[in-house]
Amino acid sequence: MKDQGLDRMDRKVVIPGDLLSEEAKRSGEGTFVKDGKVYSLLYGLANCRDRINVIPLAGKYVPAPGDNVIGVVKDITFSNWIIDINSPYDGLLHISEFPKRIDADEMSKYLSLGSSTMIRVKDVDSTMKVELTLNDRKLGLLKTGRIIEINHTRVPRLIGKGGSMISMLKKELNCNIFVGQNGRIWINGGAEDMDLALKTILLIEKEAHTSGLTDRIVDFLKKEKGAGN
Amino acid sequence: MKMIAMDGSNISFFKEGLRLDGRRADEFRPLKIEVGVLARADGSCYVEMGGNKVIAAVYGPREVHPRHLQEATRAIVRYRYNMASFSVEERKRPGPDRRSYELSKVSREALEPVIFTSYYPRSVIDVFVEVLQADAGTRTAGINAASVALADAGIPMKSMISACAAGKVADTIVLDPMKEEDNFGQADMPIAMTPTGQITLLQMDGHLTKDEFHQAMELAIKGCRDIYEIQRKSLIEKYNQLGSELAVVQEAEVL
Amino acid sequence: MTNVIAEIKKDYLYNLFLKGERADGRAFDQYREFSVERNLISKAEGSALVKLGSSQVLVGVKMQPGEPFPDTPNRGVIITNAELVPLASPVFEPGPPNETGIELARLVDRGVRESKAIDLEALCITPGKQVWIIFIDVHILDDCGNILDAASIGAIAALLTTKVPASKFGLGEDYPLPVKDIPIATTAIEFGDVIMFDPDSDEESIANTKLTVLSTADGSICGMQKSGTGVLRQEQIYRIVDIACEKAKEIREKFLEE
Repeated sequence: MKDQGLDRMDRKVVIPGDLLSEEAKRSGEGTFVKDGKVYSLLYGLANCRDRINVIPLAGKYVPAPGDNVIGVVKDITFSNWIIDINSPYDGLLHISEFPKRIDADEMSKYLSLGSSTMIRVKDVDSTMKVELTLNDRKLGLLKTGRIIEINHTRVPRLIGKGGSMISMLKKELNCNIFVGQNGRIWINGGAEDMDLALKTILLIEKEAHTSGLTDRIVDFLKKEKGAGN
Repeated sequence: MKMIAMDGSNISFFKEGLRLDGRRADEFRPLKIEVGVLARADGSCYVEMGGNKVIAAVYGPREVHPRHLQEATRAIVRYRYNMASFSVEERKRPGPDRRSYELSKVSREALEPVIFTSYYPRSVIDVFVEVLQADAGTRTAGINAASVALADAGIPMKSMISACAAGKVADTIVLDPMKEEDNFGQADMPIAMTPTGQITLLQMDGHLTKDEFHQAMELAIKGCRDIYEIQRKSLIEKYNQLGSELAVVQEAEVL
Repeated sequence: MTNVIAEIKKDYLYNLFLKGERADGRAFDQYREFSVERNLISKAEGSALVKLGSSQVLVGVKMQPGEPFPDTPNRGVIITNAELVPLASPVFEPGPPNETGIELARLVDRGVRESKAIDLEALCITPGKQVWIIFIDVHILDDCGNILDAASIGAIAALLTTKVPASKFGLGEDYPLPVKDIPIATTAIEFGDVIMFDPDSDEESIANTKLTVLSTADGSICGMQKSGTGVLRQEQIYRIVDIACEKAKEIREKFLEE
């Protein structure tokens, strides 16, 4: 069977159109089925378990309901803030989804052009109209700190299984960290702590697809913090 | 302004079975592919094919401007082929001409069939190809670069697209005509296809008998298959460069 | 298409500036790493690819005989054009150069022309009838900030490699184009009263004002341009000009080294 090669190795670099399996039922994310066979949709890493998923190396963030993201206000209309969520699709925050009852002419007082927010995707319809909401205590305006951008495909790795990587980072880096599904990350802390946080996050982005990453990051942090003292 | 006149009748295109640049009839010119050469673009690729130097960049999917061009159920694909003023022998005025509009159209039509545009309604996938140096075959070099740039940008596709031209010169069918063969040859036929042989670009000008046409197709198809392997290799190698020593990598099998 | 810059990013950068720092750790008068690759376009009479940080600019020089302008019958002609092609940035649109592209081309031209780097009279072939026309074509490939300085370095680097293609037109043997000076543009931006050189894309996008100084090999000024909607005080301008000429000298030295 042609796909036995894939089972031997855990992960494999593939390009669009590569044959992954002759069993259509194994088709996962980043794959498509044609004539009963599974092919790669993307340039990325094929992860072969029961289902074969192809993890892309690049690509744009497409919002899904429930996603927590970091958005920047790019326009204000009669009753909506238009929010750039680092996607081909802008998000709309309707005035009713603002946690406080405000008038339409007060909108820019509360969220002005260029404001950054931790915000959630409420709904996405079939024409990719994206509705956002701020109605949650954990969400809100970001006033201080830094926002960095990584490729959104690396976000799962940055969060880790059950949040393991991100909790470790928050503890070790002594920073507030909010990871948006859209690849934007907010960090807040002392200047040196934020610098180290940036370095660490960029390192994770670069090596997201490799194994043993968590241990390497722990070692990296030990070394960097030791050097700082 | 008088340039020294060039007359093809003095050229002998074959010497001891080899062409002017030492190639056999069925060889294409040396091909170099570099993936991810631009910082701003979402995906990019630089290609050298013989004396051709082209660079392709992909932006998207992104918001469509002007808005009225957007389509509710799928992404639109735009392709812009452009030649730098200094890319040709006689300096070219900047800006598109009729030839570049036609090339842009057929190149877009060569790539669009394999792009899953339904994944990104109301958006645009922009492909830009700049010819930095031209040496016959810029459109096929551009399509080869664009295909790799699309993969580099993470655009979902059914497969890659590879392009190559066949020509006829001194009554012989040759692969990947060079400048003199293109200028003074008897036919030029660029094609583009998927690795499984589905043709997405076919153009021809000149004179071919039906037999010659079949020969030219077979030759061009083989050329495209070989070019596909080089495109594939360049993408896999770029990935290897990115990963650390611990990355587990192996080429997947291809039907 | 313009992008709204997040206020939080502006604040972050400004706080860094107040501490005397830049996001990439450079000093305020420090240029990013740059490299110049010459003669990479064999069809052109001269060419140079400049990489300044991640910015990439390709300049090609083409020459051909042509008619002189009626008011200068014995002088060659220099035509400088810049293409800000959409491949180079998400905010560049296809079409003829807009005011930014035209300004860039005219500044590169100003440097070459006002420094008299090219002796236009020496480009005369037959007085009143035929002169050499030099086309300097700037092709932006990747805009990561300060493409103007990169373009100006590219233009003079390309001119220094240019061979006059006399043989192609039956006008004798090819010979290297005589270049008598090395004009270089050095650009600084001002934001919140802080001045820094060689802005990257983020710094450029928040800048209020830009000042470009074109200087020659002996440290004289042959061109200047303030752009942007901010204001500059006299002492700021003097300070910028001093540093700009220094930086141009360093860049010129790096050239002659290469």
